[in-house]
Amino acid sequence: MTLLSPQSLAADAAAQPVLEVENLVIRYGRPTRRPTGPAAVDGVSFTIRPGETLGLVGESGSGKTTIGKAILGLQAVTSGSIRFEGQQIDGLKPKARRVLATKLRAVFQDPYSSLNPRLSIGDSLAEPLLVSGVRREEALLRAEDMLEQVGLPRDAVTRLPRQFSGGQRQRIAVARALITRPSLVVCDEPVSALDLSTQAQVLNLLADLRDELGLSYLFIAHDMAVVRMLAQRVIVLYRGQVMEEGSTAAVMDDARHPFTQALLAASPVPDPIAQAERRRLRESRLVDGASASSISATGCPFAARCPMATELCRTERPALRPAAASLAACHYA
Amino acid sequence: MAGFITKRILFGILTIFVVSVVAFLLVRLMPGSPGAIVLGLGATDDEILAYDTSIGWHDPLAVQYLTWLGEALRGNFGVSLLDGRQVNADIAARLPVTFSLALAGTVMSAVVGVLLGVIAAVRGGVVDRIVNAFSALGAAIPGFWIGIVFVFVFSVQTGLLPATGYVPFAQDPALWLQSLILPVATLALGGAAFVARQTRASMIDALAQDHMRTLRATAMPEWRIRYVHALRYASLPIVAGVGLQFIALFGGSVIIEQIFAMPGLGQSIQGAAASNDAPLVLGIVVTTTVVVVIVNLLLELSNRFLDPKLRTS
Amino acid sequence: MTTRNDSTVAIATAPPRTVRPSRLRAIRRSLSTPGGIFGISWLLLIVVASFTAPLWSPYGPNEQTGSVALAGPSAAHWLGTDDLGRDVLTRIFTAGADAIATSALGAAVALAVAIPLALWAASRGRGTETVINRVTEIAMSIPVIIIMLTVVGIVGTNLPLIMVILGLVISTGMYRVLLGQAKSLQSQLYVDAAFVDGLTAPRVSGRHVLPGLTTTIMVQFALVFSIGLMIQTGLAFIGFGPPVPAPSWGGMIQNASTHIYDAPWLMVPTGVVLILTVFAANSIGDALSGPREKAPVRSNTRSLRARRAAASAGNTEPTGSSPVAAPSATEPALSVQGLHVGLDDGTTLVSDVSFAVSAGRVLGLVGESGCGKTLTSLSLIGLLPTSVATTAGSILWNGRDIAALSEQELFRVRGREIAFIAQEPMRALDPMFSIGSQLTGAVQRLRSVPKREAGAIATALLEQVGIVDAARVLTSYPHEISGGMAQRVAIAIALAGRPRLLIADEPTTSLDVTVQAEILSLLRQIIAEEGMTMVMVTHDLGVVADICDDVAVMYAGQIVETGAVRSVLLEPAHPYTKALLGADPHATGAGGPKRRLVSIPGQVPAPRDWPSSCRFAQRCDFATAACSGSVPLTPRPSGAGLSRCIRAEELFARPTSSLPAHAAALKEQVD
Ligand SMILES: Nc1ncnc2c1ncn2[C@@H]1O[C@H](COP(=O)(O)OP(=O)(O)OP(=O)(O)O)[C@@H](O)[C@H]1O
Ligand code: SF4
Ligand code: SF4
Ligand SMILES: [Mg+2]
Repeated sequence: MTLLSPQSLAADAAAQPVLEVENLVIRYGRPTRRPTGPAAVDGVSFTIRPGETLGLVGESGSGKTTIGKAILGLQAVTSGSIRFEGQQIDGLKPKARRVLATKLRAVFQDPYSSLNPRLSIGDSLAEPLLVSGVRREEALLRAEDMLEQVGLPRDAVTRLPRQFSGGQRQRIAVARALITRPSLVVCDEPVSALDLSTQAQVLNLLADLRDELGLSYLFIAHDMAVVRMLAQRVIVLYRGQVMEEGSTAAVMDDARHPFTQALLAASPVPDPIAQAERRRLRESRLVDGASASSISATGCPFAARCPMATELCRTERPALRPAAASLAACHYA
Repeated sequence: MAGFITKRILFGILTIFVVSVVAFLLVRLMPGSPGAIVLGLGATDDEILAYDTSIGWHDPLAVQYLTWLGEALRGNFGVSLLDGRQVNADIAARLPVTFSLALAGTVMSAVVGVLLGVIAAVRGGVVDRIVNAFSALGAAIPGFWIGIVFVFVFSVQTGLLPATGYVPFAQDPALWLQSLILPVATLALGGAAFVARQTRASMIDALAQDHMRTLRATAMPEWRIRYVHALRYASLPIVAGVGLQFIALFGGSVIIEQIFAMPGLGQSIQGAAASNDAPLVLGIVVTTTVVVVIVNLLLELSNRFLDPKLRTS
Repeated sequence: MTTRNDSTVAIATAPPRTVRPSRLRAIRRSLSTPGGIFGISWLLLIVVASFTAPLWSPYGPNEQTGSVALAGPSAAHWLGTDDLGRDVLTRIFTAGADAIATSALGAAVALAVAIPLALWAASRGRGTETVINRVTEIAMSIPVIIIMLTVVGIVGTNLPLIMVILGLVISTGMYRVLLGQAKSLQSQLYVDAAFVDGLTAPRVSGRHVLPGLTTTIMVQFALVFSIGLMIQTGLAFIGFGPPVPAPSWGGMIQNASTHIYDAPWLMVPTGVVLILTVFAANSIGDALSGPREKAPVRSNTRSLRARRAAASAGNTEPTGSSPVAAPSATEPALSVQGLHVGLDDGTTLVSDVSFAVSAGRVLGLVGESGCGKTLTSLSLIGLLPTSVATTAGSILWNGRDIAALSEQELFRVRGREIAFIAQEPMRALDPMFSIGSQLTGAVQRLRSVPKREAGAIATALLEQVGIVDAARVLTSYPHEISGGMAQRVAIAIALAGRPRLLIADEPTTSLDVTVQAEILSLLRQIIAEEGMTMVMVTHDLGVVADICDDVAVMYAGQIVETGAVRSVLLEPAHPYTKALLGADPHATGAGGPKRRLVSIPGQVPAPRDWPSSCRFAQRCDFATAACSGSVPLTPRPSGAGLSRCIRAEELFARPTSSLPAHAAALKEQVD
């Protein structure tokens, strides 16, 4: 390795993606044996740049959570690589992983089970700081500051999770993720368990903090409209494979992949006139969702439900390639 | 399914093997060598040594175990050190007594326990409290105490039933039944308390399931909801509990047999343990394990049958 | 920026509670039930009395007092004497401390082995767990008492040693119990979060899993304690107790049993003390595991009626106080007036709900979680949960009041006239029975047809709900089909009795959007085909826009706005409706990553905290002093329908220009 001047190092770091995921494959199964089950994640690649929010959408069971867990080191990777700030992090030993703990953080889906009900809010928030060697008094002080920053009173540190509503708990979870000043936060469906009004509170909070602190998010959600609120770029996942990828505007307003189109068309809008129009459009397309028939190993994973499927689709798996302003994995995009 | 059964049977065999090895090593730890026990106090050290050597007591342990195993596989557990009787003959005579005690006790526990548990869950209120009190009390009363109380009440005071003794079925079925009533009732008291508690909890859980509402919404009569659908849902944990109960009662009869002078395995292992009769102890431990392994296998099978998730996979 | 301070306000207004995280407190609380108090006091009594025996007893435990042997209770010997004339009371209590201490020793050993094993197995995943499970399974294949007799043969009657070995043997069973719970704790998200924090596996186990096991551990301790006590007295009873003349409970019962003919009394004292001790330990265990689930008392119709009558008598609000929305000119098929639903303890959960649905129309009941949608919908078919009942109001369906029907009368209505579709399709189906038997059974019951015909109808129904391979689905069990398929089956079951009114409680919430769209289309089609009326509960305004004709917006147990979907969603006339629309990311309008949502500060108040003012006042941007009184439903300023806001007229009366007005209103609130 050549010696670099401090300037060039800094410049390099600025250009370097926060996260690079390459050809990620994950199969569930006993870790002791060779995992053989169907791939929950099947050849997924993406990068996240500093300050960028990448949305990851898909139906339930499409592998979104699994990807998030793999990045966080909670799920073994079958093949492929994950690099965080240039460093390979998949398969890292727990000790080596510890160094990452302050920079790579998470907000989980269920605000009720993501906080230990027996620990005070202060103890939960201080935990990552204590691990990284901060003194307890200072950690608690920083916890109070952080709570204030997410719109909760400072004295919340002494309380227990059960004294807070779902929305407030999710704010606490956000505080816990951000207290170490991370560069990347994996948000796994952070608002899907919340009511409409509290969902808006948390989404606004995430947006504000990102802009203030220059964070990157991997924002996992099943709802396109929620992703649109935060993400600059989106990846659409189907059965562990990337169907479409591009800027949020391109994917949402001019979706090229039939699955993305189906997903967008299916989500109802609270405007009866517009919704009637959308429904007519959708029903004329006839995307078949009920037949959860098995996918062919060789063809397009969406072929069984796709209204445009042809023989080619069933025999040859389409590669991700440019289509209009985005990338789509479809022979006919 | 066939693969599953094969796997379970193989595991059962492994279990019996492991238990026999461990038990073989354990009985070696009993004080006194066979020679010392067989020849009694009058024997000299030389005589004892000669006897022990003649039966291979000083051979390597592995050799001794394999010799024992070879014989055991042929149904020969050796001879008792105390009376020189064949161990397998002794066990063959005693197993049916213990087995019928445990089986009858389990059946009675199951019938009474399920009945009480279901009534408590379905009726609630006072009935529920009474059943709760019964299961709390039943769980706290030791069998050997209530057994004696039963003897006092039903034999000593009223003379309704024989106090002790066992009449083989072949000899007189009516007397056989009579001789079983008190011991079985004694065993079943704690068993029924346990099963009632288990059943009650499972039934309450079952009745609170969402699908019960679907059944009500489609006008299914309440009795069918309770006794067909809820009971069916609750049957998995209940059957598991009853199976555990059989194993517990099989062990529990060791003490009960003493009270009622029943010639079962319990009496035998008790004497064997007191006199360090290693072959007999070993024989009984292995036999008991075989019984438990078979019962567990049957339980697994019934579980497979009862649970559609297991049955269809 | 108001958003950040929203909940600061909400917390500040909540009464400050000073609950310190204290496990000990919770344990103390559960122990101060009658059972717990009895258990603790009894065990303490035995131990204290045992150690102080020489102080209070005039006799030694083995002293042959010279009094009459085998005597009953007397002033000198409160519990009588045994066959050697020894004082029974002194002997019982002298034996007590040993019995309790050694049983506790056994339980402690069992815990010391089982806890680390369970924590380890839970944190290591399947491989390790399987190995440990197999080993414990083998260990559990010999009845405990048989093992213990063998042990006695080896080590003799050394009681502490025997109890240590017993603890080892029983630890296998305890491991099983702890493992189940440790695994469920291990799967909690906060364990994942702790790993993300950089904690190592042992520290995660110690800090996040072990504390959650505290209660179970103590319950298991009590359980193993009583098993140990039973086993050691049992062993002593058959002669493997402490050597004579030392007293032991088992030995004393054995001794008593030999005198059952001449001194039956002797059985009583030791037996009762032993039973009470085991009972005490069990009571402590029960108390620790928390209040036991009570079997619900099934109320018969008469008591339900009485309750309802009593409740409505005490209810000051006159029934049907609010005018009924009549969205269409035709006679309503379903008309709910002044419906109140309350808990048995008097808490009102749904208050003064009124709405009407005309035949063939779909009414949406919409609102956030906890506002009473499900209870309202369940009361329409008389299926409220056991501790909840309608306390006032009427539910008129085709001229009959559902709320006043007896159970037998309801029985004839359910399924045949009114059907119900639940939220979780998987849990709505009986997992133990095939779909064929569930569907055919419903058809047989509800259409009174023979089995063969019912089978044919069932197939037809499945085809009607869009299932292509009906034959295969009929023979399947619920776990073998997907969620969307299960919801189709649930709809088929609902259709089995050719109902006229369909009540659907969030039928698509647990489904993917693509499947949701299909189910909504299916419902729409079926309603049109069969000419059914429907009440659709949802929290999704998009679903309302898609399938409903009329809508009732609920907030904190009340309806706050009702009317035709078009007018309510496009021109909301209540601040809550408007705020909900503003908070919905699906609302059409200029999009883009930077758009902010309107957020409603605070949260929905719980039923016990409902204010006497407008229930939305705490969170309402437009609240004034005038909002502190109770607010009635009044006609909406534009369009048919009602709104529960005293400022509706002033805030929302605008010239009715459809879309731009609504967009402008939204924009205004965002800025
Ligand atoms: N622990 C596990 N063992 C085996 N299979 C699993 C496990 N966890 C998830 N899966 C499977 O992996 C696939 C992807 O699951 P994942 O939870 O990542 O999807 P998701 O998109 O996050 O779904 P949801 O929206 O429901 O949370 C699914 O088919 C799921 O059934
Ligand atoms: S490749 Fe074919 S089946 Fe796949 S999405 Fe494109 S058109 Fe549909
Ligand atoms: S009555 Fe007052 S507080 Fe209630 S919604 Fe209307 S303006 Fe808001
Ligand atoms: Mg997920």
